[in-house]
Amino acid sequence: MPFRTLMFRALALVALAIVALPGPARAQDALQPALQAFADDLASPSRRTIESVVITLIEQDHPNIGEFLRRYSAREVVQRPEDGLFFYAEDAGALVRLVDIDSGEAVAEVSSRDVTQIRTNSGVQRVIAAALVPLELNAPERERRMAALDAISRSPDASQIAPLAESVERETDASLKTRKERLLLLLQAQFAQDRAVQLSAIAALGGDTSIEARGVLNRLTATVTEVALALPEGANIARVLNVGTDLTEAAAYELLVSAALAEPAQTPAMLREVLAENIVDGRVGGVPVGRLSDPAARIEAYEALEAAGTVPPRAAPDEAAQAVAAHVFFDRYTLDDAEITAAAQAALDSTQQAIAAYQVADLVLDGLSLASIFFLAAIGLAITFGVMGVINMAHGEFIMMGAYTGYVVQLFIPDYTISLLVALPLAFLVTFGAGVAMERSVIRHLYKRPLETLLATFGISIALQQLAKNIFGTQARPLTAPDWLGGALQINDIVGISTIRVAIFVLALIFLALLLYILKRTRLGLEVRAVTQNPGMAASMGINPDRINMLTFGLGSGIAGIAGVAIGLYAQVTSEMGANYIVQSFMTVVVGGVGNVWGTLAGASLIGFLQKGIEWFNPSNTLAAQTYMVLFVILFIQFRPKGIVALRGRAAGD
Amino acid sequence: MAKTTLAPKKGFLSENPSVLRFLGLLTVFTLIVTALAEGFGAGVISTSFLKVLGMTLCLCLIAVAMDVVWGYCGILSLGHFAFFGLGGYGIGMWLMYARTEGIVRTSLANAPIPATEGEVRDAIASQIFSVVGSTELPFIWGFAHSLTLQLLLIVLVPGLLALVFGWLAFRSRVTGVYLSILTQAMTLALSLYLFQNDTGLRGNNGLSGLQNIPGLLHLPQSTIALWFFWASALALGLGYLLFAWLVSGKFGSVVRAIRDNENRVRFLGYHVESYKLVVFTATAIVSGIAGALYYPQAGIINPAEIAPITSIYLAVWVAIGGRGRLYGAVIGAATVSLLSSWFTGGGAPNIDLGFYRIVWTDWWLVLLGLGFVAVTLFFPKGIGGLFDYLVRKP
Amino acid sequence: MSALLEVSGVSVTFDGFRAINNLSISIGEPELRAVIGPNGAGKTTFMDIVTGKTKPDEGRVLWGEASQNLLGMSESAIARAGIGRKFQKPTVFEDQTVRENLAMALRNKRGPFDVLLYKTNRHARARIAELAEEIGLSDHLPRRAGDLSHGQKQWLEIGMLLAQDPRLLLVDEPAAGMTPAEREHTTELLTRAAQTRAVVVIEHDMEFIRRLNCKVTVLHEGSVLAEGSLDHVTQNQQVIDVYLGR
Repeated sequence: MPFRTLMFRALALVALAIVALPGPARAQDALQPALQAFADDLASPSRRTIESVVITLIEQDHPNIGEFLRRYSAREVVQRPEDGLFFYAEDAGALVRLVDIDSGEAVAEVSSRDVTQIRTNSGVQRVIAAALVPLELNAPERERRMAALDAISRSPDASQIAPLAESVERETDASLKTRKERLLLLLQAQFAQDRAVQLSAIAALGGDTSIEARGVLNRLTATVTEVALALPEGANIARVLNVGTDLTEAAAYELLVSAALAEPAQTPAMLREVLAENIVDGRVGGVPVGRLSDPAARIEAYEALEAAGTVPPRAAPDEAAQAVAAHVFFDRYTLDDAEITAAAQAALDSTQQAIAAYQVADLVLDGLSLASIFFLAAIGLAITFGVMGVINMAHGEFIMMGAYTGYVVQLFIPDYTISLLVALPLAFLVTFGAGVAMERSVIRHLYKRPLETLLATFGISIALQQLAKNIFGTQARPLTAPDWLGGALQINDIVGISTIRVAIFVLALIFLALLLYILKRTRLGLEVRAVTQNPGMAASMGINPDRINMLTFGLGSGIAGIAGVAIGLYAQVTSEMGANYIVQSFMTVVVGGVGNVWGTLAGASLIGFLQKGIEWFNPSNTLAAQTYMVLFVILFIQFRPKGIVALRGRAAGD
Repeated sequence: MAKTTLAPKKGFLSENPSVLRFLGLLTVFTLIVTALAEGFGAGVISTSFLKVLGMTLCLCLIAVAMDVVWGYCGILSLGHFAFFGLGGYGIGMWLMYARTEGIVRTSLANAPIPATEGEVRDAIASQIFSVVGSTELPFIWGFAHSLTLQLLLIVLVPGLLALVFGWLAFRSRVTGVYLSILTQAMTLALSLYLFQNDTGLRGNNGLSGLQNIPGLLHLPQSTIALWFFWASALALGLGYLLFAWLVSGKFGSVVRAIRDNENRVRFLGYHVESYKLVVFTATAIVSGIAGALYYPQAGIINPAEIAPITSIYLAVWVAIGGRGRLYGAVIGAATVSLLSSWFTGGGAPNIDLGFYRIVWTDWWLVLLGLGFVAVTLFFPKGIGGLFDYLVRKP
Repeated sequence: MSALLEVSGVSVTFDGFRAINNLSISIGEPELRAVIGPNGAGKTTFMDIVTGKTKPDEGRVLWGEASQNLLGMSESAIARAGIGRKFQKPTVFEDQTVRENLAMALRNKRGPFDVLLYKTNRHARARIAELAEEIGLSDHLPRRAGDLSHGQKQWLEIGMLLAQDPRLLLVDEPAAGMTPAEREHTTELLTRAAQTRAVVVIEHDMEFIRRLNCKVTVLHEGSVLAEGSLDHVTQNQQVIDVYLGR
């Protein structure tokens, strides 16, 4: 055997030289020769012997050593018995493809019986993994160090603490360093041998809202619900459960049953089955079957069977209650160390507080974004409603029109950024035109009849909606945001907001400023306010109310168009999208108070925040949130019929 | 109506010949349809079309109610279809419960041990609610086993809702467009509520199989359709009579005065809010009854039927028919809803323009919308107004 | 002559503008009283307060022998208590006949169900005929109120006021836009009404007031400037200043 081995080695060296020469790897860097030096230990590894081998190999610092050890540990390395060379084995159908360790080229395909697979047991695998960690943690490439950290956080264990702690010192990259420090804390909190280290690590995790930190603390404070006749001595009890308040009697009894401390209670279905099995000549225990639709008769029949000894005795009615009363129910920490669990619990509590604060922050962001959407959708409506007293039911369709304009623009201009820049003004122009056309052709004839304007514009609304359906189909059309709007502003694991919503918020702010400017600082605004307050007087002062009405209506509609593009970016563009916003927009206007930009802002904020707030209480049910929202609006109007910002005195009319 | 206070001791009907004329026409229509119906003999009118006619009569009834509340009292309610839907849900609960009960009892009859009432209820509940992943009977179904109680609810639920909502809205003097939006919000809240799976009315699945009347399953649909047609005609006749009586005489005078200038009516010493409340509630109850007759003919009800838009359509019918005259509402509802089912049902011939083919199922709503704008602009009094014009001309 | 209406210390502010400033007026029964004053003196606002249309910021308005507090009562309750009001702009229900207008105003129970079950009777018909006679509209009973002339509408409104049979009539500019003959008739109507009840007339036209021949209250900037016979107040220097301007 030694002779044969020697000979094979010599041959192998020759062969290797031949194979290795044309390859890029220089001979002295090649791993195979180094491996051959420990061929026996590698071929039949044991936990005892492998460590020194692995350490020696790692110290030699071959470029491929990391990969080799990983695949070796994963049992992907085979030895060819003829020459003792090691290869990576890859699956190739029925055969095994042998891959050269240094060049990575496929060498041959052989039957699996022609090579020896090296079986690394779990002890060996652990040794290799531990040996690899410091290697990778201190690898020169940032990516490899990052991958090592990822690997540790995927499957953390105690052995990683020492190398990680050691590598923290050597880390040069600042962000990786903080990450390593955190990971170290996480490891220490779970596995540190030294109690003081563990406790301080746990304390340091308090207030950390990341999912990893919460996961660690949750694991440390995990509990199981148990039941016993008396509280067990020395057990690490989290809390004693009160039957009735902490858990129902039925649940408590189920616990007893699953702990084999009580028999399962007889359900009505079980009773029926037992009775059905014991029907004799149309009677059960002497009770005619026909009477058994009465629950009392069923019990009577069962008791008769019981007396005859056919069935086991029935539980007394209060047996379950007695059994429950005789036991204590408690949550026990899965960790027995009370000091650790208490520290972890305290840390978790402080984390919860941080989380609550962040959740409020997140809620505020959500509310803000919803409010800005409502504001954008409603402000156009508020202008036309406030200035002209006209309810435009087709406002939602103008929103839709704007969104479809954006969609069509994207069909022609593939670059999303440019198309968005084109779509915004174009949508304004299109809906401005539509608004002016509608005002001229329909609404101006109906100024004396506001309720009929509502109906006429509704007619226009259904016609437009159907028209959109006929042109664009019923299917939702995409309006894609440019990439720079695609991401999200993630502040931490809890607080985050998509960039698009930030953009909508900014858009809403721009419009607020623009409208305030137009209404307060321009000639048009002055005339608009004059017409709002007293059309007759305004007309006599040379203001043409027709022109003002037309422009106002156009402006309101144009803003709806822009809102449509904005909404289309994050929601889908359908012919019905406007209808989804119209009622909300009305409520915004009504709650805010008519004819006032600030009022609309207040209304939108109130409705936006409230809706998010209600959703927070019941996050799974948006419909319910909307229902309560609408109910709130109905009640709100009871107390402030003219909205938050109400015009008072004679201007309010009567 | 001018003679109301002048004419001594004359009957209500003789003072209002138009009511008599309407009732006569309705009777003749009912008789003709009956004679031509499949269930009666001639078979010219198919059962499905008979159902359409019956449903149309129900729609006419709610349109009459809408006309009273809007055309006479000036409240543009965008919520009356909510009451209609509540009526439908009310009857639907009994229909579904009773029919499921029949099925459950039949299937349990073969069990070795006869089922207890509790077991029957559980089986019914899991049959009805498995679709929303529940096996428990919600408490609002507590009366569903009894037709009498459920019929009572059909009157009480819309009535109470209208009473509470109306009281809240009217006492805070919300009027005009604001009130319309408020009623619309109420409708929206109700439909959103019903859309939820866990509110006990099967979410967006709604209630179905309502055309099968428990206890009458042995009768052919053609017969049942005829019965419902008669019931709808009777309800329309009675409802018309009730409202015609309500809006005639002094009450009608006060109500119309409220529409025209409610402040002035206040200074005459009338408590305007109570009048509005009476009108709002009465019309809501009638709407609920109309719904209860409509949905067994339609066979299915779901929350989409209550969506705010349907109530706006109702206003459209009344406006097209002509507000402030009850027969106008009937004309509007009948014309638009029958035309609508003709156009959308593919009955109308498509028009080939050479370069484009007008498919009416796609273009009907466009036509309706534009037609409606035209009516508002050019015939503010609707078709009924045209009638007046023709009658007065000679 | 005991006080029927006692307005004391009433003030009301609209957006910082003091429309009524510590106003106190007392009206007896029967009495005919004219209230005059320049534009913005608070004449109409005074009526708004009495009839419940405007809620004052402070002050008391007491009514009748029992000194009922009118503040906090609804407009309709105040009207039922016996205060009738005629607006500056004639507001009759134009779509309804003169008869229907009068019938609505007739003193009867006002509840919706009472009205629903109301049956017209001989007495009511007689009263309507009598009122129509008084306001000169006997021949116009079946006509649409909207078809009447401006003056006829004013009378119809006065007729509706009388039909209510109120103890206090508040009449805002009854003679505006009337021909001299029509004014004559209106004066007659008002003085006759004032024989059995209290009538308060707001008017600009001095000639008209002179013909009413009654006590006059002059309002200025929301409070009483002078009170007494027309001759008395027209000689008051303050009143002259206010009316002629300084």
